[in-house]
Amino acid sequence: MEESLQTSTNYQLEFNGKGTEFFSIIIVNWLLTILTLGFYYPWAKARKLQFLYGETSLNGDSFSFHGTGKEMFKGFIKVLLIIAFLYSLFFLFVYLKSPILAIVILYLGILALLPFAIHGSYRYRMSRTSWRGIRFGYRGDRKEFSVSFFKWLFFTILSFGLYSSWMSINMRNYILGNIRFGDVEFNSDGDGGDYFMLNLKGYFLTIFTLGIYAFWWQKELFEYYINNLSMSKGDKEIALNSTVTGGGFLKLTIVNLLIIIGTLGIGYAWVVTRTMKYIFENIEMEGNIDLNLLLQTEENYKDATGEDVGDFLDMDFVM
Amino acid sequence: MIAKTTGIYFDGASAIPQEIELIFDAEKSTLVFNTVNNQTYIWDIDLVGLETKSKNFYLEYGSDPIQNIKITDSDFAHRIKDLKKAKGNLSWYHKLMDMGIKAHILFTVFIFAVIGLGYFYAVPWIAEKAVIVIPEEYDSHLGETFFEQNMLFNDIDTRKTKALNLFAKELNLKNTKKLKFTVVNSPIVNAYALPDGNIVVFSGILNTMKDYDELVGLIGHEVAHVNHRHSMKMMCRNLSGYIFVSAILGDANAVMATIGDNVNNLQSLSFSRKFEHEADAEGFEIIALNKTNPIGMSNLFKRLQDKEFVSIPEFLSSHPITTDRINYINKLIKKNPFEFKENAKLKKLFLEIKN
Repeated sequence: MEESLQTSTNYQLEFNGKGTEFFSIIIVNWLLTILTLGFYYPWAKARKLQFLYGETSLNGDSFSFHGTGKEMFKGFIKVLLIIAFLYSLFFLFVYLKSPILAIVILYLGILALLPFAIHGSYRYRMSRTSWRGIRFGYRGDRKEFSVSFFKWLFFTILSFGLYSSWMSINMRNYILGNIRFGDVEFNSDGDGGDYFMLNLKGYFLTIFTLGIYAFWWQKELFEYYINNLSMSKGDKEIALNSTVTGGGFLKLTIVNLLIIIGTLGIGYAWVVTRTMKYIFENIEMEGNIDLNLLLQTEENYKDATGEDVGDFLDMDFVM
Repeated sequence: MIAKTTGIYFDGASAIPQEIELIFDAEKSTLVFNTVNNQTYIWDIDLVGLETKSKNFYLEYGSDPIQNIKITDSDFAHRIKDLKKAKGNLSWYHKLMDMGIKAHILFTVFIFAVIGLGYFYAVPWIAEKAVIVIPEEYDSHLGETFFEQNMLFNDIDTRKTKALNLFAKELNLKNTKKLKFTVVNSPIVNAYALPDGNIVVFSGILNTMKDYDELVGLIGHEVAHVNHRHSMKMMCRNLSGYIFVSAILGDANAVMATIGDNVNNLQSLSFSRKFEHEADAEGFEIIALNKTNPIGMSNLFKRLQDKEFVSIPEFLSSHPITTDRINYINKLIKKNPFEFKENAKLKKLFLEIKN
């Protein structure tokens, strides 16, 4: 009885990064990437992520990104080999005078890479992220995820895209539900139907209001993602709550736009840090898990191939 | 030299913060501390990573698990950093980062200068070289495909086409490729040359002509495009410009990418003007070679320029007949002695084409 009545604990998420610091990182990255004819890219990416994660803190302690340029470079080489293999198949069939088969194989090949890329990038990213030395982890099963992915994709095609709301929420639930933060589990309880209605409403209201509602739509989506996310450990849990507002998004977007246009794009660093700050300021955590008691449970995983495929396909990272 | 500070130690097994007293010995190059259960740890500075995160300093040691000490004492952190610097194990990345914001702004200027030089000098040069490598068969293939697809929906005038081909056969066009002329019935005041030697002339432009020397001027101009592989050059330049812009700016952000794209479009427009100029110059040579009156070319341009007041035909908007171009032709006429004689055969064929 006493256990469950335990008073709730305080949690504070913050982003502390400064635009000037991020600007320096971007510029040095750019310089080195150009001087090395692009080969520095994986290292540049590692530096960027190290900064963004390091400047994010929970209860005053920073997150860390431990991924290295070397790991991502190795992944990059593997991706290059995979892409080269797909293209050689493509040209083989073109040479054999069956161009349609060649295109089908190329597209199917890239499509088949998708679940592997998502799975791989989550395993890598999570395993390389830590807080107070406690690693995150992704415990999804690649085979299970791939089967579900193609099942959802099949339904989406069959329903002319209508099912895509369910697909994205199911995917989110699966991926986020398999994330661990030490011995704390993440849960995501989104529902495809609710998400569909949310988007339907957002779409029409945005049209009726000549686009102004878009910011409130964005707010509702963000709220939907965050409020459906929670963490649990045994019978204890932490609920996440969004406090973003449509007006807040509106202001953020307009100022960001002015910065970008006014600086001809050089102010990008400030846009990123402002956005991160706004987002983390507006995520509240409430619950009774004692973060001091987190235990190291997740294994190391250093294969960045999935992460790099994601980069190639310009995939967005959900979290 | 020995320095002391307090820090918070995380052992990498749990998230429990343990307050410790941390001792830094610069001579021995070690960090020493005791944990609550009285265990002593000695870390070699060479193996300790020092990172600034969220205004605190983190000392990291080991890889699995990673142990962390968080300190807030910046003097202490700088002593460790100075020792690492003195021992030469500060990476050049950190050296670049330590140069400060002024240096980074200078880097920005330098990067933009490099991009600018690369774009305006290196890209066109590479594109020009690339054209030499690309076999001419590719030009032919490209032209044929385009021709076949476009002629499907066009009304070809077979009688005029035949006459125009006979007209061209009478001329020495300095061509290396076999030329094929086609007349399409259309009010469009335009003509274009495809890279395979197919030259399409719309009846609209033929109707504006008053004399056969104008037609010679037009043919000379279009043939020059084919002879100089202008289409292929244009394609190579556009493509390499596009690749350059998207490779350098595509990853930066949308605004920079858009600015890059627009610069690229403007640049390609100026490139196309350069080709028009080249084609005018060679067109003039072809006219002289065929002993035709070069005033025809000048007249044609003037007529096309007048046309602009009525409508804006494609020919004018894609390569506008500017006063510049007319002046250029007139200058050529003045500067170069020319002789011409009336060619009865061409005149007869011209009338056939016009009616």
